[in-house]
This record gives sequence, C-alpha cells and structure tokens, in this order.
Amino acid sequence: MSISEQTAKEHANDPAVLCCRAEKGITLTSHNLEDPAIFEDLVDSGLLNLDGCLKISQVLGAVLTKTCDSLTPLTADVIDHIVDFSEEEENKEEGNQKESNQENQKAAPDQKKNPAAKETAKAEKAPDSAAQPVPPAFMKAPVPFPAGTLKISIGEGKNIHIELPMGMVPPGAAGMESGLMPAERNANSETTSREGVSAESVPADSSPADSVSAAPDPEPKLIRSLTRHHYKITEVRRGPKTKIEGTVLYIREGIEQEAIDSQELVHDLKIDIITPDAYHTYSETIMDVQPIAVKDGESELGSGITRVLDGVIMMVTGTDDNGVQIGEFGSSEGMLDENIMWNRPGAPDKGEIFIKTQVTIKAGTNMERPGPLAAHSATDVITHEIRQALKELDDESLIVDKETFHQYRRPGKKKVVIVKEIMGQGAMHDNLLLPQEPVGVLGARPNVDLGNVPVMVSPLEVLDGCIHALTCIGPASKEMSRHYWREPLVLETLFDPELDLCGVLLVGSPQINAEKFYVSKRVGMTCEALDVDGAFVTTEGFGNNHIDFASHIEQIGMRGIAVVGMSFCANQGALVVGNKYMTHMVDNNKSEAGIENEVLANNTLCPEDAIRAIYMLKAQMNGTKVKAPERKWNPHVKENNMDLISNVTGKPITPVLNETSLPMSQKRREKYS
Amino acid sequence: MKKSLQYGDKIIYMEGIIVDVSDGAVGIDLKGRLGYLKIPKRMLISDYEIRPGQEVGFNMSFIEQLTDEPNEAYVSNQINHSPRSGC
Repeated sequence: MSISEQTAKEHANDPAVLCCRAEKGITLTSHNLEDPAIFEDLVDSGLLNLDGCLKISQVLGAVLTKTCDSLTPLTADVIDHIVDFSEEEENKEEGNQKESNQENQKAAPDQKKNPAAKETAKAEKAPDSAAQPVPPAFMKAPVPFPAGTLKISIGEGKNIHIELPMGMVPPGAAGMESGLMPAERNANSETTSREGVSAESVPADSSPADSVSAAPDPEPKLIRSLTRHHYKITEVRRGPKTKIEGTVLYIREGIEQEAIDSQELVHDLKIDIITPDAYHTYSETIMDVQPIAVKDGESELGSGITRVLDGVIMMVTGTDDNGVQIGEFGSSEGMLDENIMWNRPGAPDKGEIFIKTQVTIKAGTNMERPGPLAAHSATDVITHEIRQALKELDDESLIVDKETFHQYRRPGKKKVVIVKEIMGQGAMHDNLLLPQEPVGVLGARPNVDLGNVPVMVSPLEVLDGCIHALTCIGPASKEMSRHYWREPLVLETLFDPELDLCGVLLVGSPQINAEKFYVSKRVGMTCEALDVDGAFVTTEGFGNNHIDFASHIEQIGMRGIAVVGMSFCANQGALVVGNKYMTHMVDNNKSEAGIENEVLANNTLCPEDAIRAIYMLKAQMNGTKVKAPERKWNPHVKENNMDLISNVTGKPITPVLNETSLPMSQKRREKYS
Repeated sequence: MKKSLQYGDKIIYMEGIIVDVSDGAVGIDLKGRLGYLKIPKRMLISDYEIRPGQEVGFNMSFIEQLTDEPNEAYVSNQINHSPRSGC
C-alpha cells in the first residue's frame, strides 16, 4: 500500500521499496513507496532483501530508469540520481555528535535533524517532520540565540494553544549543568505535540529558560518527613525472651507454637536462622522478604520515626501438607545462594542474616486465598514480637544511622504521579495495604477486598512499608515487601529536584477483563483530576496484568498526559496488548536470555530502570520524541540508553549484576553427585 | 548445552476445558485427551467469571527436549521434596 507524503517524511531514513509496479521514466513520489512498517516481517520471511536499498529521502523526486515490479527495493542503479544524499549524511553525523546534548537539554524536543531520538531507545516514531525550525547550531546550548525564524507546522489538531515568552535565550542557559530542567512552565508544547502536531517546539521549550531566571519557581514545600533509625544486628539467637541486647537479637523459644496456633490453616512452622556461612542451604520457595521495622512512639506509618533492624530480614517460605510449594508455578525453591539475586531492592543483601520461617499449611490451600495469607500472618506473629522488642528499646546509643526522607511538593516543576499496579487476582496475587506497622498485617486491608480500585498513598508511606506483598508467581519479577521499602522509582523521583511528585497510586490487577477496565478508568480519572504533567505506570511480572497495564497507559495517555510504562517484558514477558499511547516503555529485564529465570528478584525494577524511566518521561513531557522500539527484544537498547544518560549527566550508571554472578550448576552437581 | 527449538514455528490451535478453579490457578483438560495443564490465573485472559466447563483456546507447538542431561538443581529439589503436584 502506498504511503502519504507525511508518512514518507516520518520515514525519511527508512528503506525505499516500491509498493506496486512502476514504469520506467516516472518521477518517484511517496505514492510509489511501500510502508516501511511491514519490512521486518518481509525480511524475516525472506521475501525482501534490503541490501543496498536507498532511503526514502534519497529517492523522492528521482526518476526511475527501469520498470520495476512491486516490492522492489530501490537501489542506486534503478534511479537517475540520489536525492539529497549529502545533506542527510551530514545531518546524521551531526546528530551523532550531539546526542547527549539533546537529551541533556531536555528543552529540545525532537526535530528533523536531531537523531538523538534514535539513541533514546524505544517508543514513538520520530517524525522527521517537515518543519525544521531551527538550524542545528541551535542545539548547542551555550551559543547565542540565532536570529532565525520559528516555523510551526501543524498537520492536524484542535484546541492548540501555543504560547511563546518574549526575549528568548538559548536553551543551555538553564541546562543540565545546573541540574535543572528549564521547561517546567511550558506545558503548551506538550499539548501541541500530543495532538499530532509536528511542532518544532524547540524554541518554545527552551525559552522558559529565560523566564526561569526572571521569575524563579516558588520554593519547594515540605509536606512531611520520615526518619529511619537504624539498629545494627550482628547475631540472632534463640532465648527465653524476645529482646535486643546490643547487636544481638534473641527470639523466644517456643514462639513457633503460638504462630501455628494463631492460624487455623497453619499446621507447622519452623524457624531457621540463616547466617551468611549457611547460605548454601536448601529452602522452600521464598514467598516474601520483609524488613523488620516498627513505628517509634506515636508516629504513624509514612511519617515521624521508624526504627529498623539492619543486617537481618524476615523471609517467609512454605509448602502445604503434601509438600506442594505455596508459591507454586515457577517457584524458587532450591539452594538459597543459587536462587537469590542479592542486593535487589526486594531481595536480601549479601551478608544479612535471614530469619526464615518454613510454614506448612493445610493441604490444597496453597492456591486458595486463605492459604498464603495464613502463612504470612503466622510469620507476622514472630515479626510482631520482634517489633515490640525493638519498640521498647530505650538506648539511643544503639542507633547506628539516621536517615531522613523529606517529601517535598515543588510548585512550578513538572507534576508527576507514580501508578503502581499490584496484583489482585486472588490467592497469593494479593497485597495487604496500609498496616499499622511497617510491612505488618494488623490493620491492613487486602487490595482484593478493596475491589482493586486505585488507592493513593504518599511516597513516604510506600517507603515506610505500607504494602505487605503476598507476592505471586514469577520469582524473578515479583515485587516483595522489601521492594517497596526500597522502591527505586519512588526514591529517584522523590529526590529529583526537577519533578513534583504528587503521590503514588496503587491499583490492583483483577482477573476479569471487565474489572480490569473498570479500575483502569478510575486510574485515568484520578490522573485527570490530579492534573499531572506526567505519569509512570509500573507492573510486576507478566501475564494478564499486562492488559490493565496497557489500559492504564491508554487511560492516562488519552488525557494528554505524558506516560512511561515499566514492566518486565524482554522475550518471555512480551506484551500481549498495546495501544497508541504505549510509546515510552522501559523494560525491567536483567536476565541474559530475557526470561523468567526463577532467580528471586532478578528482573525487578532497579535504580538503573528508574533513571531511564525518569529521563524518558522528562523527554516526553518536553516534547522530545523517542525512537520506536525494535521489533524484537534487543538488550542493547537499554545499554545505549544508559550510556546516553551517563554521557549527559556525567554520572555513570553501573548496571546491576544478573544471574550469571551466582554459583553455576556445576557446583550443584558436585554437591549432589 | 540447551538446543534451540526445531519445530517451534509449527503453531497448532488447541482447545481445552476448564476443570479446576482455585483462587490462584486454573486446571485445564486439553481436548482429545491430550493432557492436562495447570496455569496461574494471571496467565489466563478472561472476559467472564471463570467456571468449570468453560472452553478455552490457545496456540501451542509441540514440546521438545532441550537437553540430554537432567538439570541437577531441579533433580535435587525433587529429592528434597515431592515433585509439584498437578493439582
């Protein structure tokens, strides 16, 4: 099928292939060319060979020197001359040199000659639009503002408002060196670009640099603060009473029976204290990893003071009476040291002591809602007693570290919200929300019982353990309770002086499609009411939750709000659905093969993903186009993006390790042969 | 060393019947006595409330062995515990 002139411009650098038979002597136009979107399939199936094929921009206007059939790639020997070749090349080189600049000055949205978008990874097809408002030199931050003209070309759209401040200055004036993004005021530029306008809003976007200096943003407003008091634990012993003495934690002997008695479905419970020298021990599937923390005095969850134990974590594991893993399906039972991706936000850190409960629940209840909940509740009997001991501590000298998180609202900055999709299909696909104590059970409500509707929490409530995750399938991608305690996206956004994080919206993922769309519409309406400039949407694992994940993005995107999606996708978790708003996506995959590799927390959201998502959202909010994803998963896209961001910020991003850093199967063989 | 699939592109349309529903999983008998499949609920795309007797469809290919040698990690897990039961 032939393409329009506009499409040809968008695909100026894509291969030129005839869509139908063309006679010798005709002058080539876009109507002679095939849509490049279908080429990959044709190449894969061997129907098309693009070797030596010219770009669309190189053939438009040239004369065909030979009659050719449909789907013939246009090469230099079938046209009379190559159009515009030198200019394209020049632009390409220039872009390569300046890619970091582009990302850097966020102010500069995509424009024709700005190939930074090509490096910027995924998403929207960068329209090499007709309007080239700005000479390339404009991209360099420190040069004086050129006396050029501003052209705005609008293909289609409605209710477009363009506002340009007077007295423009170059975009670099408030560029990245100061770490500040200059475009906060200029929301209009996004509006236009969202309406499909090929607006060259570079000048518009960059100009607020001036207004920033003229009228500084209002001071950030402190909403609340949360302080963690860290108590170091170096040894865990059993004793007659649960208490903390110095750096030694004692757990009362016999507490197991109380934990068992507390839950009808729990038939047995064992406590193992796993020290680092015992990491090479068999364990049932790890259901959850939890911090041990308690609110200080009258402090409420999400503010005030929280006391937390360092060097020790709770770990919930278990089976039913028949030995069937509670976290059935891709469970991570096996040697602890071979099944844990250390130091992930949700996983234990290497060197920590695990207080591991092995819970046995009534046969056959492992897949029913009460089963996993009983295992968690029984474990919490033990955790709660430790919390009480921690709460009663009256020795400030035991505090080894104090850490304070401030929640600021930043008026004048881009207002963003984090939408976290959590599981809500039932059984272990559930989360207990807002317990009284961090990651507790008491006082919490299961989000399944809340109908999975969006619940707004403050970023500090997330970091203070407002989510007790029952965690579901997919050890590598499930977000455990500890993940939220150290949630990288919340932390990075909270600390970003260029963003005004208004809250974290938790939304469950129900089973039935109609319910999924019910909750996602509420997400869209909430974001609309919040009047945010941008939103992150994250989900854990893969499966039918990708349907509501896509729907959340659609509901947010259709309201003209910039949105970045984050999920494990790669090979195995490839999205089953999509829509036109899913243009900015970040993949949480870390595994070599792009699969669910059964290593705990391997593919969960890490700081490197959060940083990429933040830069992608900033780029989008400022109208910068991001290149469309490749058809098949390619891990190099992520690496390129990290390099790009590092080049811009000057701060290297060190990728986290993956499963290849763990002991290999050979070791297992020696152990068991 | 794992082999790659030899017949992975031979996609076959399959149907099954939901025979077992729990809060977390769904059991499916494949039509034609071709086996039984148990999957987590989140791997089932559902427009309606899930009930036994409902028919489901999916595409699959034949299952191929990837290795000759058993993976010791999985063998040892089975020694430590009974294999995962189907239901």
